[in-house]
Amino acid sequence: MNRYLSIFGTFARACLVRDMTFRANFILECVTSLGWMSMNLAFYLLVFTYTPEIGKGSGWSKAPFFAFVATGLIINAIVQAFFMPSAEELTEMVRTGGLDAVLVQPLDAQFLLSLHRVDFSSLANGLVGVGLLAWALGRMDHTPPAITWLLYPLLLLCGVAILYGLVIMLAAATILMGRNQSLYDFWFYLTNFSRYPAEIYAGPWGGPLRTVCTFVIPILLVVNVPARVIAQPLTGEAWGAVAAAVIAAIASLIASRLVFQRALARYRSASS
Amino acid sequence: MSRAATAALRDPLRGLSTWWTMLKICLEERLVYRGDFALGTLMRFLPIVTQVFLWTAVFSATSRSDIAGYSRNDIVAYYLLTMLTRAFSSMPGLAGGIARSVRDGSVKKFLIQPVDYVSFLLAARVAHKLVYYAVAVVPFGLVFFLCRSYFPPVPDATTIAAFLLSLVLSFLLGFFMEATLGMLGFWFMEVSSIVFGYMLVQYLLSGHMFPIDLLRTVPVGSGGVSLADVVHWLPFEYTAYFPSAVWLGKVRGPELLGSLAIEAAWVVAMAIACRIAWRRGTRRYAAFGG
Amino acid sequence: MHNTDLGGMAGASEPVIHPVIHVAGLAKEYRVYDKPEGLAASIRALVHRTSRVVEAVKGIDLEVGRGEFVALLGPNGAGKTTLLKLLSGIITPSRGTATVLGHVPWERADEFRRRFALVMGQRNQLWWDLPAAESFRLHQEIYRIEPARFEKTRDELVDLLGVRRLVLQPVRELSLGERMKLELVAALLHEPEVLFLDEPTIGLDVVAQHTIHDFLRDVQRRRRMTVILTTHYMKDVAALCERVVVITRGEVLYDGSLAEIVDRFTTHKIVTLDLDEAPDRSRIERFGFPCEFRGPQVVLRIDRGRIADVLPEILGTTGVRDVSVEDVPLEQIVAELFRTDAREAAAAEAGR
Repeated sequence: MNRYLSIFGTFARACLVRDMTFRANFILECVTSLGWMSMNLAFYLLVFTYTPEIGKGSGWSKAPFFAFVATGLIINAIVQAFFMPSAEELTEMVRTGGLDAVLVQPLDAQFLLSLHRVDFSSLANGLVGVGLLAWALGRMDHTPPAITWLLYPLLLLCGVAILYGLVIMLAAATILMGRNQSLYDFWFYLTNFSRYPAEIYAGPWGGPLRTVCTFVIPILLVVNVPARVIAQPLTGEAWGAVAAAVIAAIASLIASRLVFQRALARYRSASS
Repeated sequence: MSRAATAALRDPLRGLSTWWTMLKICLEERLVYRGDFALGTLMRFLPIVTQVFLWTAVFSATSRSDIAGYSRNDIVAYYLLTMLTRAFSSMPGLAGGIARSVRDGSVKKFLIQPVDYVSFLLAARVAHKLVYYAVAVVPFGLVFFLCRSYFPPVPDATTIAAFLLSLVLSFLLGFFMEATLGMLGFWFMEVSSIVFGYMLVQYLLSGHMFPIDLLRTVPVGSGGVSLADVVHWLPFEYTAYFPSAVWLGKVRGPELLGSLAIEAAWVVAMAIACRIAWRRGTRRYAAFGG
Repeated sequence: MHNTDLGGMAGASEPVIHPVIHVAGLAKEYRVYDKPEGLAASIRALVHRTSRVVEAVKGIDLEVGRGEFVALLGPNGAGKTTLLKLLSGIITPSRGTATVLGHVPWERADEFRRRFALVMGQRNQLWWDLPAAESFRLHQEIYRIEPARFEKTRDELVDLLGVRRLVLQPVRELSLGERMKLELVAALLHEPEVLFLDEPTIGLDVVAQHTIHDFLRDVQRRRRMTVILTTHYMKDVAALCERVVVITRGEVLYDGSLAEIVDRFTTHKIVTLDLDEAPDRSRIERFGFPCEFRGPQVVLRIDRGRIADVLPEILGTTGVRDVSVEDVPLEQIVAELFRTDAREAAAAEAGR
């Protein structure tokens, strides 16, 4: 465990050195990801000039909604910073045979492949997320109870764990298919569902969609559960959601491990 | 004008056959990876689903019957149409691919072989798109059929013609903009950030995110000019908003003609920019030895 | 290339005591999807793809003892790299067994992976944007090398290759040869008992090749490391390996000493005469051997068995200033070997 931590430290340091070597690029990356985010925020502000809340009676008026958005920013920043760059590179490694070099090293392949690159610029969004959360909390009618401060970080971690599991399973698909350019697209489209409050998925189509995205691919639990805990009253239903998020996180981690192991066993290596 | 195109004029048959061979090779290459294709096409509809649900929720909570002139049905139709227009104008991987070929030196091939790089890329892209449409026509057709009740009645022949023209132009505009961007790889080691920044502006100002009409209420300065008016003169909205708005009948008459002219002017401007960037870039590349 | 002393190396390979590598009936099959020619076929392939099974390695048996330096030769696509990948556990075989250092490679046990290294000449394993020192540091962590030992080994290896000043430079700024040397250092930091080298000298200049040869020979002898090397350069083989395994089409065609390969697959020696002036051709031709005239130089191909009889007579020819007797260059022997095999394969194919 200690060894893995220190190896991860080395990875992180190496990536930081790299980022600092190409400093201009690093700053540009921070700026673009901040720009992307502020653009989304501007869009939400625009939407709120036309409506008091998202979904009638859903409770997602302006301030709670921005708390929701902030939660999403924090979770996605963590995943984008620590897991996505490695997973994306995996596609390239499978194609060029770089994965071979990983497999001969006496280290857990999943660890190495999911953490060997850290993208520090993505953390910028997370910091803005924290600021936005503070802003939104100050503007809400509802004051979260004390237990929230325990639950919220835990649920953030659960959200990260669920997404991590999905990233790894997608990466495993990359290994099996030998090539998968659409990994990032797929990821974008999948996580897209988690960007808005689950309440918007209503009606004859929305209902089943909500069920699938909660229980089959638990993408709706990622942001919704922590956001709901911090921005809405803690009802019995909310506690159910908390339990679901914890279970989904554990299941996601276990499933990803199994899938990844199977994928490695079937890896065929690029011909040289 | 590209070298291949010039060759085509001088020796039409040979030029065409070169082009056709390039197209065929690209088609074959694309078809090998059908798994990616099917998956990609399916996935493309997901964001729109979220957008439709979001707007439905917005309309459910507001007392208005329309937002910036769009009813809920119009909004749904608009997003579906931008999907279609984006299928023409978006160029996934083009800029990044060019920049990579510069970085890893594979662009040398095009300095040596008697093939014009820009023409080759264009052929590859046409091939890519054709194969994409061949696969995508089924899901697109299905979605548009299922959602037919959201659309206004089919417009008149002139509007349809203008719509088709704007689509073709949006393909060319998207291609030349991204290709030019990729050529920046001759000057910068990493263009991924620039490409990302471009995508960002593109996403916001092309109308991919929301109808540009929503920006009519956002003033720029104090002269009564709105952000939408400014965007009108930029190239971005012609890659998503404009064709969709044409189909929905939001742009008509002289305004339609004027907009088509602006779009065509941008296509020409970007084609020239791309050509200049290629010429200067290769000269620089040759001088500094990559 | 002067291989006159090759005969002296016969018997130099030590008797195999402990098989470090043991391979029995190892086979690997791939399913390959045909990429159809032509547009129509491509479209058809959307619906139905045809595939066939390719046997990259078909039933290989091999034993390698501790401290052996084995060259794995074969034409492109013969299955050399696949065999190395199987032995390093990157891929799982379709049939057969193998143990390396007592472990089944594809189980990828950490204890196993800590004891061997794989270097691929065509692939970069160092961090591209960072100095090699950082990659070494990472290696230390991954392979749990004691700090003192790590520094000692690193300094030793770096000095042997004369690359101390390159260690702090970003890898992307180095030349191919420099990079390869640093790759080798990285691979040897954890003092592996078994080393797999996949075309380590590919694309390198003669000086760099030479440095690497000396380095590998030195380290291998001192550590009694077991090395398997694939290469297309016979210089690598002549400089490093006593034992040669030739693989073609996934099967072992020859396994024996380098000297023996010369014995077995050549019938003649090359005799070069340097004369005072361009000779009267008939005087040389009368010996009845194929010969070639290059001004004052004559090259003869003489049957091995007759060389002792004929040589004095030839030397008796007036005006001979110098003579050299060489084996046929290894490149030619091996190329001939591959060619013969390919011909036989084609004949077998036709006969079927």
